[in-house]
Amino acid sequence: MYAAKRVTYAKKLLSTVGIDPARLEMYNLSAAMGPKWAEICTEFTERIRKLGHSPIWLAVCKQSGMKRSEEK
Amino acid sequence: MIVGKQKPFEEIWDMIKNFKKVLVFGCNTCVAICHAGGGKEAEILASMLRMKAYQEGVEMEVKHAAIERHCEPEFFDPVMEDVKTNDVVLSTACGVGVNFLAERIGDIPVFPGINTQFFGAVPKAGVFVELCAGCGNCVLHLTGGICPVARCAKSLMNGPCGGTNNGKCEISQDVDCAWYLILERMTKLGTLEKLSEIKPPRDWSTGIYGGPRRIVLEHIADVEAQEEKKES
Repeated sequence: MYAAKRVTYAKKLLSTVGIDPARLEMYNLSAAMGPKWAEICTEFTERIRKLGHSPIWLAVCKQSGMKRSEEK
Repeated sequence: MIVGKQKPFEEIWDMIKNFKKVLVFGCNTCVAICHAGGGKEAEILASMLRMKAYQEGVEMEVKHAAIERHCEPEFFDPVMEDVKTNDVVLSTACGVGVNFLAERIGDIPVFPGINTQFFGAVPKAGVFVELCAGCGNCVLHLTGGICPVARCAKSLMNGPCGGTNNGKCEISQDVDCAWYLILERMTKLGTLEKLSEIKPPRDWSTGIYGGPRRIVLEHIADVEAQEEKKES
């Protein structure tokens, strides 16, 4: 309950500094829900891929003169 | 305790964006309890400022630190040299702490990271309510322990106004009518007749309206001054 509210708050903080809050998510599941865990990991990885590099990473690359092609 | 609330992030950013070395300086007493300006909040704010600086392409080093109290000089002693290595200090202490540090830090600007709100209590986690106005002329013994100065929207001293409505104040249904609470409490205590006593007009000059206040305890202040003299 508290954790969910704190994650919502953390999403607001991220949004304040220009980071898409969709990059943070909370899921409720037990240690016995392995397949569900794998499914969530796959979905979340896909979501992050679609969102692309974080604006912080892009800003750091820009400052250091690194090209997009060199980004890892 | 003193209750505060963090300033809007954009307002903070506007204050500090032109400085190269920024210290976000927390206070681990009152403002830590209200989750506005303790060490943890200073760390989070410093992290947000770093992210903002990166995105804005601003070269800025943001550090964070915290001490137990910003309102007594001895707590600053171990950290003051480090604090002075920054271009600006963003204090997340209450207004007292910001004033006190600004007087001691020399030529470095000190900016407020929070808006200091009131003297309050914590009825439950995450909720803070104003209970005392620091008026310098306490009447709680006459009002059942409920302060009409802080808790009545009009600071009325002689009973409720016409805006009282089923125990709530006309300014909001979330605000209790202080005089309703006083009457209920004094009825329960069997001291309601105290309210019928005629009292002289109140002296408001003991509060902030009378100018900045100062208290000197001579039995302590004099002894300390003598000891300092001996040492020098």
